[in-house]
Amino acid sequence: MEALERILADLAPAGPHAEARLRAAEQVRAHGVPSTRQEAWKYTSLASLKDVAYRAANAADGAALDAQALAALPLASASPHRAVLVNGRFRADLSTLDALPAGIRVHSIAAAAAAEAGQLAPVYAEEIRPEAVFTALNAALLDDGLIIEADADAHLDAPLHLVFVAAGATPLLRAPRVIVRAGRHARLRIIEEFVGQEGDRGLTNVVSDLALEEGAVLEHHRLQNEPDSTAQIGRVRATLAANATFNSDSVTFGGALTRIDIEVALAARGARCRLNGLFTTAGTQHVDHHTLIDHQVGDTHSEELYRGILDGRSRGVFNGKVLVRRDAQCITAHQASNNLLLSRQAEVDTKPELEIYADDVSCAHGATVGELDTQALFYLRSRGIDEAQARALLTYAFAEKVVETIPLDSIRHAIEERFIGAGALSELEALLEQS
Amino acid sequence: MLEIKNLHAEVDGKPILRGIDLVVRPGETHAIMGPNGSGKSTLSHVLAGREGYTVTGGSVTFNGKPLLELEPEERAGEGVFLAFQYPLEIPGGNNGYMLKAALNGIRAYRGEKELSAVDFLKLVKARVKAVGLDESLLNRPVNEGFSGGEKKRNEVFQMSVLEPRLAILDETDSGLDIDALKAVAEGVNALRDDTRSFIVVTHYQRLLDYIVPDYVHVLSKGRIIKSGGKELALELEARGYDWLTSEAA
Repeated sequence: MEALERILADLAPAGPHAEARLRAAEQVRAHGVPSTRQEAWKYTSLASLKDVAYRAANAADGAALDAQALAALPLASASPHRAVLVNGRFRADLSTLDALPAGIRVHSIAAAAAAEAGQLAPVYAEEIRPEAVFTALNAALLDDGLIIEADADAHLDAPLHLVFVAAGATPLLRAPRVIVRAGRHARLRIIEEFVGQEGDRGLTNVVSDLALEEGAVLEHHRLQNEPDSTAQIGRVRATLAANATFNSDSVTFGGALTRIDIEVALAARGARCRLNGLFTTAGTQHVDHHTLIDHQVGDTHSEELYRGILDGRSRGVFNGKVLVRRDAQCITAHQASNNLLLSRQAEVDTKPELEIYADDVSCAHGATVGELDTQALFYLRSRGIDEAQARALLTYAFAEKVVETIPLDSIRHAIEERFIGAGALSELEALLEQS
Repeated sequence: MLEIKNLHAEVDGKPILRGIDLVVRPGETHAIMGPNGSGKSTLSHVLAGREGYTVTGGSVTFNGKPLLELEPEERAGEGVFLAFQYPLEIPGGNNGYMLKAALNGIRAYRGEKELSAVDFLKLVKARVKAVGLDESLLNRPVNEGFSGGEKKRNEVFQMSVLEPRLAILDETDSGLDIDALKAVAEGVNALRDDTRSFIVVTHYQRLLDYIVPDYVHVLSKGRIIKSGGKELALELEARGYDWLTSEAA
């Protein structure tokens, strides 16, 4: 990628991490952009990004959007606690963080005091694997992002809504980082919602590092709804101490090319995670989810369900690795990947990967690829439902298994709206529950 | 109302219906009986418009319209309802929502206004109880985890909401115990009136004790080989099908 080389060559970081950033840039140069010859990138070619004239987003690019333009974007969620990043830069004027309860703090990385900036040290200390080169790129370009801290026993009722806006007249390379530390028995819910202005051709290279201390609970909702012209390469990493719980859902509607890696380290006994995902693609969209659940010790538990719905000539990838380390006994790890092809030209590659070095484990995985059931389609049509609606209804029914596991109305409603219309089902369900 | 003329149909190149003639007038209930493989279910499916059946001859008119030229949902709009022998399970598909979509689909076809969720619920709540089903069924996945009896009752419940002009019951009695059979029959009988017609497809006469037909037709090898009144069903019960099929051959 020529543009990338130029961006790295022009990199002139200042501040306490300047040297570390240059080292990260060096790592990027050394490894280069992944190719499909690498196992982790086998099904996702980055060739379509090669000739895009990216430039690194700067502070001025972050000022490129006003409140009115933000309001015009299709945000699925709303919360009293909102942090907005435009082209990777925190915008205090568009954010509302005044009502955060005691013990929960949100800072922009750019504005962070030196003491808080100490939290960035691990970002630069890590050795980068060649397949994770974009994480090094994010470190090299790390000008802004968010540091979110929850003290021990802190409890956030309403979700913390992080809005990432892609708004580039020219193709921008955005590199925000989110760092979350949830203290002992803290409970919080974070929504990462990605939206953008029509026609944006940028690349969102985002990394979220989540650390959960003992007994902490983090609900993490990710909604990728960038325009179908934007590319995104994202990574979510969570490290769980004893008895911590991490629940993640990753819903992808938008993007020309989306690659998301979700990595969870269950590092102490009693840690558990649930990873759910839903992606729906059309046209020539490409969505790749790689997940890694690392059961480092015994008595750790994971559940995973990913469903993909593919139309047009789109392509989907799911690679779900579960690693059970030596002598990590009394593990449960269940994984399912189900995919629905709505067109003959759509394609999905699904690959469960179990690596188990312990014997007292309960692990199961399953992967399916199917089409809409023609008999069910006829059943609905024979009742008076036209073909398009019958297909939509069956498609939503397929997604429902994931939807029901998402404990956040706004995301569920966004999925409902996408398939069968806003409120089409939830209004009826609500009425039925009242009676 | 329904006029079937010399209907021929095949599946995978194999002729199944070989010249069916049948006229059903408003308010009439016709039973179609016959041994396995006689074409009973094929006739039901051809009338409802299921894919995979090739009509090779003949015609079907329904209230003056060429039924075979209509899509399945258009046939429903015209007032045709097929109660399935094996109602489909749709995991994740909500019963109430499916039925609302069906009712509003039919209303749209007829140029009528859509029913709101509130009005829809008012309509269906009384009817779900009438077929002996719990109201909570409305908020459950379509037929998933239902017993055989519940599935058939759900078919009759849907029928009672969609109020078809012609209902075709495809072996609705199969797999039902006597209580479920009676409940289903009661649901059907409650819908019978001077204008609504029924085609009851069944292998056994048992169902016809509860849904008493005006006419009974015996189907064999894709043709109606005998027609008569309700007493024909009793005769079939006593003598089986052999005397007729050997007569026809």
